[in-house]
Amino acid sequence: MNGIHDMGGVHGYGPIDREEDEPVFHHAWEGKALALARVGLAGGHFNLDEFRHAMERIAPVQYLSISYYERWLEGTLMMLDAKGVVSAEEFQTRLDELSKSSGGGA
Amino acid sequence: MKITRDVVLGLYKNTGTARVDADVAASFKVGDIIQARIINPTGHTRLPRYVRGKQGRIATDHGVFKFADSLAHGGGNQPQHLYSVRFDARELWGGDAKPQDCLYIDLWDDYLERAE
Amino acid sequence: MTSDNNVELRVRALESLLLEKGLVEAPAIDEIIDLFENRLGPQNGGKVVVRAWTDPAFKARLLANATEAIVEMGYDAVQGEDMVVVENTPEIHNVVVCTLCSCFPWATLGLPPVWYKSAPYRARAASDPRGVLVEFGTEISDEAQVRVWDSNAELRYMVLPERPAGTGAMNEDELLALVTRDSMIGVTRAQNP
Repeated sequence: MNGIHDMGGVHGYGPIDREEDEPVFHHAWEGKALALARVGLAGGHFNLDEFRHAMERIAPVQYLSISYYERWLEGTLMMLDAKGVVSAEEFQTRLDELSKSSGGGA
Repeated sequence: MKITRDVVLGLYKNTGTARVDADVAASFKVGDIIQARIINPTGHTRLPRYVRGKQGRIATDHGVFKFADSLAHGGGNQPQHLYSVRFDARELWGGDAKPQDCLYIDLWDDYLERAE
Repeated sequence: MTSDNNVELRVRALESLLLEKGLVEAPAIDEIIDLFENRLGPQNGGKVVVRAWTDPAFKARLLANATEAIVEMGYDAVQGEDMVVVENTPEIHNVVVCTLCSCFPWATLGLPPVWYKSAPYRARAASDPRGVLVEFGTEISDEAQVRVWDSNAELRYMVLPERPAGTGAMNEDELLALVTRDSMIGVTRAQNP
């Protein structure tokens, strides 16, 4: 698809932002997000090409706004829903439960 | 399959290549001048827009690989040759690029046609 | 957009569902994180580079069949199944990018840094590699050739940086300290002693 992910040669993104002594993960949830995607892949629930395509289908504005491992999480959720492993409704229900118990408004 | 700690330890020893041990004929050979096809698929492809319609030269035949465009849509392996294709920077980006600079990208047989 | 707090909760929600469904066990999740945090990383690629600098026969094998040579050193992890190593010389400077996503040789370099996955690098490494290299402080002569490798398929690319001058007497540990992750992506050279 001619998506936002196909970035080669695009202008306007500005300078390359680098970080000295960058950690492998900046937040604990990033490692978890990667691990859960690997679970979906290694468990045979979806393949790498399907997973990449799911991330490409994240709406362009969102694709650029969210961080790298958020894209992994959203791609994993899209694939697990599409394959009937974890439906979007089931996920939302669990998210609402956790949100209530943690006292936050998600 | 349930992912256990043992399964994960297996991941350290790689998860398997996309290479396929299949006897598939190659449409091109090293040195051939090719043109990347002009396509506009709504599905998954690993042929980026910046090489479509551009001419390059087959640099290496990597052998037979599963085809990502098919696998992303439940279409099976469609095993075919994958080549490292060399494009002159000027062919891709115009006259401001240095004449000696170039770009290599891996392209499957289905992405290519013989250049005139 | 989602805040970190929200995404943290989303990850927790998915984790709890996958555990509950019996698709994964908790120690497996910890093991995956440990693999990427502690066992895969540029220290592995660095050892491959130092060996290539000090063992001409290994270097020849590495450039001819990188996958086999790297497996021979014990680095046969995920995203290293089909490797290509390209050599930087005074005349040829190689640099690696994945314009479509974030493909990277995990077995030798671990997970990529944020800049490698960012839009500015993915957008410009292919079309303006010399400009990108200048941003990394890497000057390339007008006469040298720049080769960009867009790792769009399932082969993974690593650069063998040039061995810096004046390192003839250095031992392997001292050499290893000169091999940076960025030099194996090709955006910089190996450090001078």
